[in-house]
Order: sequence, then structure tokens, then C-alpha cells
Amino acid sequence: MRRRLQGLALTYLLAGGLSFLLVLPLLTLVSASLRTEADLYTPGLLPPNPTLAPYVEAFSQFPLGRFLLNSLVVSTAITLGVLATSLLAAYALTRLRFRGRELLFGLAVALLLVPGEVTFLPLYLLVDRLGWLDSYLALVVPFLASPLGVFLLRQFLRTIPEDYFDAARMDGANHWQMLWHVALPLSAPALGALAAVTFLGAWNMYLWPLVVTKSRELQTAQIAVNYMLNEEVARWNVVAAGAILVLLPTLVAFLLAQRAFVRGIALGGLKG
Amino acid sequence: MRAGLEALAFLLPAYGLFLLFMILPVGEALWLSLHQEDLFGRGREWAGLANYGEALARPEFWKSVGLTLKFALITAPLELLLGLVAALLVYRPYPGVALFRTLFFLTTAVPTAVAAVAWGWFLHPVGGYANRVLGALGLPPMPWLTSPELALPTLAVITAWAGVGFTAILLTAGLQNIPEEVLEAATVDGAGPWTRFWRITLPLLSPTLFLTGLLVLLKSLTAFGQIHLLTRGGPAESSMVWIYRVYQDAFFNFRVPLAAAEAFLLFLVLLALAGLQFWLLGRRVHYAA
Repeated sequence: MRRRLQGLALTYLLAGGLSFLLVLPLLTLVSASLRTEADLYTPGLLPPNPTLAPYVEAFSQFPLGRFLLNSLVVSTAITLGVLATSLLAAYALTRLRFRGRELLFGLAVALLLVPGEVTFLPLYLLVDRLGWLDSYLALVVPFLASPLGVFLLRQFLRTIPEDYFDAARMDGANHWQMLWHVALPLSAPALGALAAVTFLGAWNMYLWPLVVTKSRELQTAQIAVNYMLNEEVARWNVVAAGAILVLLPTLVAFLLAQRAFVRGIALGGLKG
Repeated sequence: MRAGLEALAFLLPAYGLFLLFMILPVGEALWLSLHQEDLFGRGREWAGLANYGEALARPEFWKSVGLTLKFALITAPLELLLGLVAALLVYRPYPGVALFRTLFFLTTAVPTAVAAVAWGWFLHPVGGYANRVLGALGLPPMPWLTSPELALPTLAVITAWAGVGFTAILLTAGLQNIPEEVLEAATVDGAGPWTRFWRITLPLLSPTLFLTGLLVLLKSLTAFGQIHLLTRGGPAESSMVWIYRVYQDAFFNFRVPLAAAEAFLLFLVLLALAGLQFWLLGRRVHYAA
């Protein structure tokens, strides 16, 4: 018993220490965002005279609302698109019989290996030819389908017992209805996990929005951080407030749906 | 026939997008890297392997390859080690474990740009805590991001920090898959915690550890956002990693075919690593079945 308590105390000590180290850079960022410019360099983790002025200033100096809305629109559109295209394809790959089915699944698996960061250059030229540069289309359309999504949902749909579909078929349901009334509701956990990682990935995109957007009104929150960092180099409290506002949506989503995120990352670890 | 048409309707959205935005660009990257822009920057002329030859003959290119390797060799082991320690601390239930899990996994929810700003402030020459702590210990402040020697290692540490949540999640799942009975049997046989860890946990975790390591390596080879935000590849090109070189050559030096050749070479390296990962995964699945 005593040994167990000692072990537990050691665990708390180590886990507490590691948590502190991991969270410290974020805590100092929060602290900076709550300080006036005069207090910015005062030592200590707690701001001496806490103020929300930097947040107000971040909002008044930069179209932060617009940047966040852009990110929200783009990430939501990508997430919904990935869920729809993946579920459709995964359904066909598990429930329909046609020639070349295994080959097409193999293709999705092979595409898992294609590192997106390296195709950004030809993708940029393609989007340019399509006349999509500096538009929402460029930010959304290339990412509406995901090999990871097809792979994960296909693996999940295979675990749904045949009986569910048989019952629906007896009632005269066609494939579309079976997809909508059987496969969709039963895949909710897998769809949730896929949605979580897709949204996170889309919200975090950096290199792509950096190269395809030019006008301020189209920039996403990530690129806005770069913009604020360069414009406000000396005023770290305003930059910090802006960064916290960009962090909040994913942080809140993570805290509310931690299970879906963790499951999605563990399943999608294959792709990363 | 009808079934075929129906399948086509279901498959077309995903596979049409794959074809247009994933398969064609890879082909075009290759095509582009084998061509040269004419004098007016209009049409393109066949250039054979000239772009590859030029890339491989540039000292700057090899410098970037070396920096990428150095960056990855700091990021990957550090991230893996931190992730493993975090996973070992939370994979089994105890009162309060949920809080620590949340804190350890949290960095997955931190966007790259926010991580960069947080660290930019943390390492700030005047206001940053890192230098304050050094000062309190009587040590001189360090030019974390502004010296050519320190910038790249500092960026690697930041990248490892940002990835801890990811590795911790994968390794926690790996640890939870180790059958409890094996460890209990070892305890009955009188094995202490250290022996159990080195003799049982670590060997049984090693496939997961290796795969996670490969993933982390792959990610670190294409790290861009934090470098762009914090150092712009500098100072004195000391953090101009491979992917940053591609970006620089394409969008600032306007040498698109050359950049395409550099990108395709990186693509081959990543593909080889991903192929290795995939082969291992296949083998592991095979053993498990």
C-alpha cells in the first residue's frame, strides 16, 4: 500500500512537472496578452495590472473577425466535403460489387503516402490555370477529398454486420437509402473522429493559404498571425492577444471533443 | 453494368478530386522539373535532367539538405522521448489522469502559428522567460533565434514541443494495447518496475515506437510554418531547410523548374520513408492476424 502511494506521489510529481513545462510557453503568452505595454517586461507569470485592452486593440487594428470567419468557413467546408466524399467512396468500396474494387482501394492506400507539402508547387500552378488564385475555391476545393477519410471509413464500414443492411434491403431500400439510413448513423464514431482531425488539419494549414491568398479579406487566421507578427513587432501584447484568439476555436473544440480528437489521431496515425 | 454505374456515382467525387488534385500534380511536378522556361518565361522547353543537375551542383541545396537532416535528427528523438515519457505517465488509470492526459495531448490543438508566437515571446531577448531563467541562474542571455548556430536547434525544440501531443496520443494507444496479463505474470515472477519496463514494455512497444518515430521524422522533414514565422529561413540562411528552399526558389527567385526538381527530390525521400513505414505496418498487421 505504502509503495503504491509512493508510486502515485512520484507519478503526480513527474506528470505535474512535465505538464508545467509543456504549458508554460502558452501561459506566458496568455500573460502577455493581459498586460499593458508598460507592464509587458515586468517579471512574473501573473500580469501586474490585468487588462483586456490588447484584445480590444487586436480587434480594432486588424480585421480579426474576418480572418477567423475565413478560417471557420474554409475548415468547415473542407470537413463537410471530406466526410461526404469519403463516406460515398467508402460505401461503394465495401457494399457495391464492381470490377477493380480492390484496385481502387489500393489506390487510396497508395495516396496516403503522397506528402501534400511537396505537391504544393504544381498544385499552385494548377489552381493558377483554373483562375482560382486568391479565392475561397483555392483554399477549399483541392482538399475536399481525403485518402485517409476513404481508408478509415472503409475499414469502419466493414465492421458493420451484414444483418443491418439485409434488414433494410428487405424493406426495399436502395443503396442510397442504405447509405443514408444505415451506414451514416452507424458510422457516427468514425465520422466524428475523421471530422475532428480534418477540421484541425484544415484550421492549421499554413504554407498553402500563404501562397494562394493575396488580398487581406481572404486570409486565414494562421496567415493573419504572420501579418500581425510583422506589423506589430514591438507590441507583443497585441500579437499575443491575436494569437490567443486564433488558438481559442481549436482549443475549445479539443476540450469539448477530446475523445474524437484522440481517436482520430490514433487511427489516422498511419498518415499523421 | 448498372451496379458499375452506381458505383461510379459513389466513387466519382472522391476519386475525381484525387485525380485532379493529387495524382496530376505529382505528374506535373515531374514534368515541370524536366523542362526549362524559355527566355520570355512563357512556353517551356525540354531540359532533360538539367534542373536536377543544377540543383545537385548547388552548394546551397546541399546546405539545405544538411540543415533538414540536422533539424530532423534533433526534432524526432526529442519529440519521441517527450511523448514516451508523457504516455508512460498517463496510459494507466489513476485519480486525476484525465487532467494530465488533456494537458499532455493539448499541443495537438495548438496551431503552428500560435505555437510560433508563444515561443517567439517565450524566447524574447528582453521579455522572454527562457532568458529570465538563465539570468536567475547567473547565466548570460542566449540569442535563441537570432544566432546562426542556435536558430535551427531552437526551431527543432519548438517543433518537438508542438508535436508532443501527437506522439503522446499514439504511444498511449500503443501502451494500452500491451496485454496486462504479461506484465502481471512478470510481477508474480518478481520483476521490479525497471525490469518490467526494459524487458517487457519497451520490447512490446517497439513496433509502435518505430512507426511513430518514422511519422515524426516525415513530419519534421516538411516543417515550414514555424520556420517561416520565426526566422524566415535565417539568420544567414541557417534555418533554410529543404522545403523552405523550394518555397524560396519558386516564389522569390522565380526559378520554378529548379524548385520543382528540388521538390521532386524531397518527394522521393519522403516516399521512400513512407514506403518503409507502410511495409512495416503491413508486416505488423500480418503478425497480429
